[in-house]
Amino acid sequence: MKLRDHLPIVEAPESVWRGIEEAIDRGSGKAACSRLWWGWAIAAAAVVMVGVGTWWFSMHRGGWIETNASTGKKLQISDIGSVDMGPNTRLRIVSDLPGQHRLSLAHGFIHAKITAPPRIFSVDTKSGTAVDLGCEYAMQMDEDGSGDLRVSAGWVEFEWKGTETLVPAGALCKIRPVRGPELPYFEDSSLEFEHAIGRNDVASILRLARARDTLTLWHLLSRVESNKREVVYDRIASLISLPATVSKGPVLALDPAALNQLKEELAWKW
Amino acid sequence: MVSLSQRDDGAEVVEACRQGDRAAFRELYDVYKDRVYSIALYFFHGDRTAASDVTQQVFLKLLANIGQYRGDSVFSTWLYRLVVNVCLDEARTRITRPVDSARLEAVAASDSQEATYSRLQEAASIRAAVASLPPKFRIAVLLRYFDDLSYEQMAKALRCSMGTVASRLNRGHKLLAEKLKQVIE
Repeated sequence: MKLRDHLPIVEAPESVWRGIEEAIDRGSGKAACSRLWWGWAIAAAAVVMVGVGTWWFSMHRGGWIETNASTGKKLQISDIGSVDMGPNTRLRIVSDLPGQHRLSLAHGFIHAKITAPPRIFSVDTKSGTAVDLGCEYAMQMDEDGSGDLRVSAGWVEFEWKGTETLVPAGALCKIRPVRGPELPYFEDSSLEFEHAIGRNDVASILRLARARDTLTLWHLLSRVESNKREVVYDRIASLISLPATVSKGPVLALDPAALNQLKEELAWKW
Repeated sequence: MVSLSQRDDGAEVVEACRQGDRAAFRELYDVYKDRVYSIALYFFHGDRTAASDVTQQVFLKLLANIGQYRGDSVFSTWLYRLVVNVCLDEARTRITRPVDSARLEAVAASDSQEATYSRLQEAASIRAAVASLPPKFRIAVLLRYFDDLSYEQMAKALRCSMGTVASRLNRGHKLLAEKLKQVIE
């Protein structure tokens, strides 16, 4: 059942245009004036808020912030959100520019809740960088660079040596020192599936995957040898009906646009 | 029907409209009116009066604010942002009517080629399910299905992050699946 087939375009009645013409002829100078006033008021309030946020952030920039074994701490990230630090956590504010808020997590636990356009907020770790795509997530990181990233709302991208791992809400990604992020998977997947990921057992991963686990399979596409890609793609196609706009050839060639299109078709089902 | 995003090469028409050319405004209206009207129609439970009101408001806002459009995003994305704003504003102020299956069937009957009664009923059920989604999920689903907007375009139109787009589509999809369980079975 294709939703789009049942939502046909409906022609707008001619009366709509007549109404528009009448409204234009009547004019709306008073409304425009009122809008202008509100526009200025909102702009002024925004400037004040950004100023206060910047001031707060600059007060804490540069130095390390640490929590002890029994208490946590809350950091306000300008006007875009907050980060809760768990006990025994050490982090540093690297950047507080309006378009770029960057932390460095040495070790410990953070819970970030951010409402901002993608890629404004990021957290560096020894094993890569968690880039916020507008979300809420928790990250635990040990001193040796091993840890995990759990996302409860939205998406996070974990960047490591040129590879990008997408972790959507409900999913988890384990991070290993030197090896970087493992394949992400949904927390409601089976233990057997999780163990297969840990062993990098491709055959078992494919066999055990559910439709939702195409998250894991999509990442697997670019991590297996080229001769195994088709098997992975075919398994994805067997789990989720792909639209004709997704082309197998470019995906197997790891064309970034084709991979992105496939991801967006799959993400809808996750 | 020309896709909105396919029409984004009409920069000269947009520019003429910015200069106050009424004919250019009419041309933009003719290209986009049916999609704007359809999104509003499905958003407001098949209510043609509401859809007409919203379409009028969208194009009047377009005319009033086109000077603010700087061409830093594709025109259709900018227009969709207006559609989203007007739909959500209207949803807040209007008294929510219950989903009227008969009205939604009427949309199906007058505007589609579906031959059989059961097909019509299925179509109406789907539209009713879409119409009953919470407004934020409903508008996300409609944008996705009407013009194949990418997550990035949707994020701009909805003024939210890509993660939120995915999250809304995800939740909207699950709610639809739940509501359409019987139809699918």
